[in-house]
Amino acid sequence: MLAAIAALLFALPLLGLLQRAGWSSLWEDLSTPAARDALRLSLECSLWSTALSVVLGVPLAWVLARGEFPGRALLRALVLLPMVLPPVVGGVALLYAFGRSNGLVGPWLYDTFGLQLTFSKTGVVLAETFVAMPFLVLTVEGGLRAIDGRYEDAASTLGAGRWTTFRRVTLRFLAPSLAAGAALAWARALGEFGATITFAGNIAGRTQTTPLAVYLLLETQPTAAVALSLVLLAVSVVVLVALRDRWFGIRR
Amino acid sequence: MTRNVRPIVAALLGAGMLAATWPGATAVAAPTPRGSVTVSAAASLTEAFTRLGEAFERKNPDATVTFNFGSSSALVGQIQGGAPADVFASADLATMDKLVSGGQVVTTPTPFARNQMQIAVKPGNPKHVKSVSDLTDIGTIALCGAAVPCGIYATSVLERADVTVPESSITRSVDAKATLGAVSQGDANAAIVYITDVKAAGTTVTAVTIPDDQNVNAVYPIAPIATASNPKLAKSFVAYVLSPAGQRTLAKYGFLAP
Repeated sequence: MLAAIAALLFALPLLGLLQRAGWSSLWEDLSTPAARDALRLSLECSLWSTALSVVLGVPLAWVLARGEFPGRALLRALVLLPMVLPPVVGGVALLYAFGRSNGLVGPWLYDTFGLQLTFSKTGVVLAETFVAMPFLVLTVEGGLRAIDGRYEDAASTLGAGRWTTFRRVTLRFLAPSLAAGAALAWARALGEFGATITFAGNIAGRTQTTPLAVYLLLETQPTAAVALSLVLLAVSVVVLVALRDRWFGIRR
Repeated sequence: MTRNVRPIVAALLGAGMLAATWPGATAVAAPTPRGSVTVSAAASLTEAFTRLGEAFERKNPDATVTFNFGSSSALVGQIQGGAPADVFASADLATMDKLVSGGQVVTTPTPFARNQMQIAVKPGNPKHVKSVSDLTDIGTIALCGAAVPCGIYATSVLERADVTVPESSITRSVDAKATLGAVSQGDANAAIVYITDVKAAGTTVTAVTIPDDQNVNAVYPIAPIATASNPKLAKSFVAYVLSPAGQRTLAKYGFLAP
């Protein structure tokens, strides 16, 4: 009974969204300039943020999985913090770190490099990476821990250098975790709202990603907001299906 | 419904006082408003209404006021969606009319305050903004969402001043408070918000006056919600806002008389 209530809790909002969808005008709603801009920006920024998460997150996961140093638990806690932190708090924190007028390093970035992160696409990527990278780090770290070290040892005794061992042995075993982590990070980046609106602002065509557009359109054009929501829902479903072996893969 | 909130009130009073002051147990000649009332109010009313609510609770010790501040349009969405609200105070008449035409408000809303718009800039006005027309080339400016009253008023101000700011220089925040925050805490160089918000922000921003012929006259209406769980208390809160004491508090926060 309680399980049924729990299931309903997830199913009802989904049904609510689907029954409000204006299927006949869906394409029209999605091809308005505002919707197109938001979708294009979301795709662009979330992909950059996923790439950044991979480039920076894999080494971090490596350190967490293989490194032996004091404060490793603390480092892991720091990395996982954005997963439990309310995103809007993350946005405020980013503002006081990278903001041009009130940030810790923001004024220096602006004075030295002329770089302003707030109200910029780079700012969106930064906010999205802040909330998304932990998903990649966590997944890849788990993947690294699951690798049987003997394969790598065997490779190096057979004369493979560290890079060759990593590329031809570790990476082969790591590929599924890396893909899963990247997919999770991408989905999270795509849905980012709180940190983005707080840190990068909400400028149409520049920092107004799809979730921000959904929120603003809800008051003026609800059907367009629902149409954009459906796109985000579809992406989530695709990610779930792609990762089904990982979560639903009960070996039969 | 009054009976339902009594336990809450009693709990607040504390178990020790319970026996002595249980509402109804003592014979009170004039019935004082009691229970709890939820007031959904425009974000620009945050400071003034918080103070007003405290005064109302002092005057009516058996009553509790709970506020729900947000953009008027978002609040209307919540009320239409069935969110519990006993009183609605809007930052414009058009937003209130949505509830009147939807039947959620059955009495005529009463104007209780007026507000005007002002430009807020960084302390000391480093970009030397003197008028609305200076807003076109100073980088990013913050405005409320285009469907939110303060966003609609800002659009009117720009139109009256015959100034066009490219959409690519406008960041749209969710309500008046967040819009001002983009200037006081963030990197927006200017915002068009209510005079009262600028006043409440103190020294974190500097005000630039918008001349009357370019300004708007924002009328704030208030009304009890038809489905109020405590209609009596809802009415007495509205009456308090309109009373001389309520009006004095609003004036102190920069609101003009209706």
